Amino acid sequence: MKGRKLLAWMLIIILAFGVVGCTTPGSEEPAEEPEEQEGEEAEQGEEQAAEESKKILRYSLTADVPTLDQHLANSIPSATVGHQIFEGLIRTYQGEVRPGIAEDWDVSDDGTTYTFYLRDTQWSDGEPVTAYDFEYSFRRLLDPKTASGYAFIGMALKNAGDVNKGEVPVEDLGVTAIDEKTLEVELENPAGYFLSMLSMMQFAPTREDYVEEFGKDYAANSENNVYNGPFVVKEWRHEDRLILEKNPNYWDADSINLDEVHIIIVPDQMTALAMFEDGELDMVEVPAEVVSQYEEDVEYYYNGANDFIKIQMDGSSPLENKDLRLALNYALNRKEFIMLSTGGLYDPNPRYVLPQVNGVEGEFGDEYPYEAYPVEGDIDTALEHLDAAMEALGVAEASDIELELLTTDVERTRKEAEIIQDDLESKLGINIDIRQVPYKQRLEMEGNKDFEMVVTGWAPDYSDPMTYLELWTTDSGYNHGSYSNSEYDAKIKLARTSTDQQERMDAMFEAEKILLEDGAIIPLQLRRIAMLTNPDLVGFESYFVGLSYEYTYADFK
Amino acid sequence: MKKYIIKRVFISLITILVLVSVVFALVRLMPGDPFASEKLTPEIRANLEQYYGFDKPLIVQYFTYLKNLVTGDLGYSMFYPNLRVNDIIASAFPYSFDLGMRALAMAISFGLVLGIVAALNRGKVLDFTCVLIAIIGTSMPDFIIGAILQFFFGIKWGLLPVAQYKGISYTILPSIALGFYTLALVSRVMRANMIETIQQDYIKTAKSKGISKLRVVLKHQIRNAIMPVITILGPIVAALLTGTFVIESIFAIPGMGRHYVQSIQNLDYTIILGMTVFYGSFLVVANMIVDLLYGIIDPRIRVSGE
Repeated sequence: MKGRKLLAWMLIIILAFGVVGCTTPGSEEPAEEPEEQEGEEAEQGEEQAAEESKKILRYSLTADVPTLDQHLANSIPSATVGHQIFEGLIRTYQGEVRPGIAEDWDVSDDGTTYTFYLRDTQWSDGEPVTAYDFEYSFRRLLDPKTASGYAFIGMALKNAGDVNKGEVPVEDLGVTAIDEKTLEVELENPAGYFLSMLSMMQFAPTREDYVEEFGKDYAANSENNVYNGPFVVKEWRHEDRLILEKNPNYWDADSINLDEVHIIIVPDQMTALAMFEDGELDMVEVPAEVVSQYEEDVEYYYNGANDFIKIQMDGSSPLENKDLRLALNYALNRKEFIMLSTGGLYDPNPRYVLPQVNGVEGEFGDEYPYEAYPVEGDIDTALEHLDAAMEALGVAEASDIELELLTTDVERTRKEAEIIQDDLESKLGINIDIRQVPYKQRLEMEGNKDFEMVVTGWAPDYSDPMTYLELWTTDSGYNHGSYSNSEYDAKIKLARTSTDQQERMDAMFEAEKILLEDGAIIPLQLRRIAMLTNPDLVGFESYFVGLSYEYTYADFK
Repeated sequence: MKKYIIKRVFISLITILVLVSVVFALVRLMPGDPFASEKLTPEIRANLEQYYGFDKPLIVQYFTYLKNLVTGDLGYSMFYPNLRVNDIIASAFPYSFDLGMRALAMAISFGLVLGIVAALNRGKVLDFTCVLIAIIGTSMPDFIIGAILQFFFGIKWGLLPVAQYKGISYTILPSIALGFYTLALVSRVMRANMIETIQQDYIKTAKSKGISKLRVVLKHQIRNAIMPVITILGPIVAALLTGTFVIESIFAIPGMGRHYVQSIQNLDYTIILGMTVFYGSFLVVANMIVDLLYGIIDPRIRVSGE
């Protein structure tokens, strides 16, 4: 009897085998493989030649782009592709503001009203790009019904906050299409960096008719969207590959050299490296563990990620004491920390603001150099602060101070936490407990102020020190450490409302110093990526704000 | 018979319902906030909750989900906001299924051969080699085998593609890596069974009847040795078909494995639920088909049903 049941199972298995057959789900058409064309017609041979001489850029991502919907996109890979398939009023290149769909613009004297004059351009389906497409887009971003996770990026617009809360209708948002080719944008405060933000995917024009037609399926694949950027989406096989194709309708199509871009999803970084060495990819990010083997050929770039430890100052922890915070900051040997955790791939950060962001005319870091704490630490100063802290807290032994360090339970952050724990415990004699939780949980705890110290970070939304500094004002929704300093708030307010760049930058530098002299955070590192590229590839750049790569004007030699 | 079928179908549906309900509750008990992101603010969070209907009472959410489920609508992913869970599973599953089937085919065919060859050459070098292969297969994790194969055949000698799943040549390395453990297991069991059957009386009878050695082996030994092998395959088949995260990760195969892990990390409730429903149904239906076939084959069931 057992035998018959087994027989039944075997029948099923055999049937299944039959189904499998000779094709695999991912098979491509045979015509794509050049080796098979031996005795074919001359015509097809020519086609093959054309196919092979196409300029195709290939790179990989470790996970699929979550979405290409302009207003639901909330990740760097989405933004990197979005930058190529859409074009906003502005198109930045390596941070430089250049006219995009807007060929010209005026700014009011108080810096809060912009008027954009659009050039004549078309969507990939032939329809003209109008100011109404921009008006619809900005409104959709802030519309509470869209539930965009990136709505915060539009907060500079007038009434954005109230619109997003649903307290006023979307029509009250500070954007108006005066006519087909003229768009007026009103801001809450003058924000010089706002122009560069208009290059972001979230501010790209959007076609209402497509959104209405496809509803929730909008942008789900290549046909459910329409494009106005240098490239269009030719094919999107989810989790497998995303293929872009040059957009013949792009207004500046003559400047675009690539024919296609193939983005392949490869979850394992070592596999991607192998594929690059095999000639299947034109660029790859080298994992930290093997960077030393590629020393001569890699190029390093900062990706904007800035890691630091957030501290809870709401009174629930001894860290409310300033001297204790400073003791930790002076004790930490950031240089050694970097060597132990990434072998020198990342950079120790003895300040807070990313030095590469814009200053008055050049880079903020060059114009305002600053080292808040010695990179190798300063044990004497640290102990002085510790003594002062112990006295104020009424603590007899350093070992009576117990602090909890919250972090994400992935390999890299686990290692980093252990290095920090070891360094601080041995130098100060205090006790540190490490608590590891999954990523989403850590974020939740951080948001709920349920931490004493938490290893976290920030990536810039625009190239200006404000993107890092606005987190710490008393009323900031991101100020989970409960930091409050009225002097700091005043400096930030000045930087927000002043139209004088020099005055703004000076104020922001003062603010940064106040923050670090208060020991509000423990800055750790700036992340660098090691990149290998095909030597024939030119014009493939990396960037540190909003997107990782820029290959609009890339070409093969 | 009819009564039997109806009863089986009914039980299967109840099973799936219970499964869905349990997982529906469990995902919400998982620590962490699905909307949590570096840049989340309370206002944005409020909008997200409303969008997904999380501001409604749990019981309402539950019945809404069931209502959609009945029409086969598993909803939209939370992490991939424009993608339907049905489409995600429909595009990922064929890869895992194809890979699993090929691994199984390879494992069973080569495993049986290895086991038979080893048993027939017992004590000689051939036996020793086969046993060695079996030991390696059962002790080495599949991702190590995968990485080694990838390095030698893909990178160093350039004989086979390093990654992806675009044609037959791409399937070779991952299916070997995935099926190696099963191959080893099958060969070990087959060898043991073959050796045991040789001792049996009916073999001696056959030999004494003058039947050629080859016929003895084929007709009697293998047929009897193979049954226990099939038994152990049950859970293994399920595991192979459901996609292994690590192999699919190393070889960049867009199967179900990645969604298993990612959906938990992202707290993507709809995908977690959708995959549970899919797999639960798959196994429940497979079981039901087997039971039905069993009912057909075994006349006692047919008769008692009337």
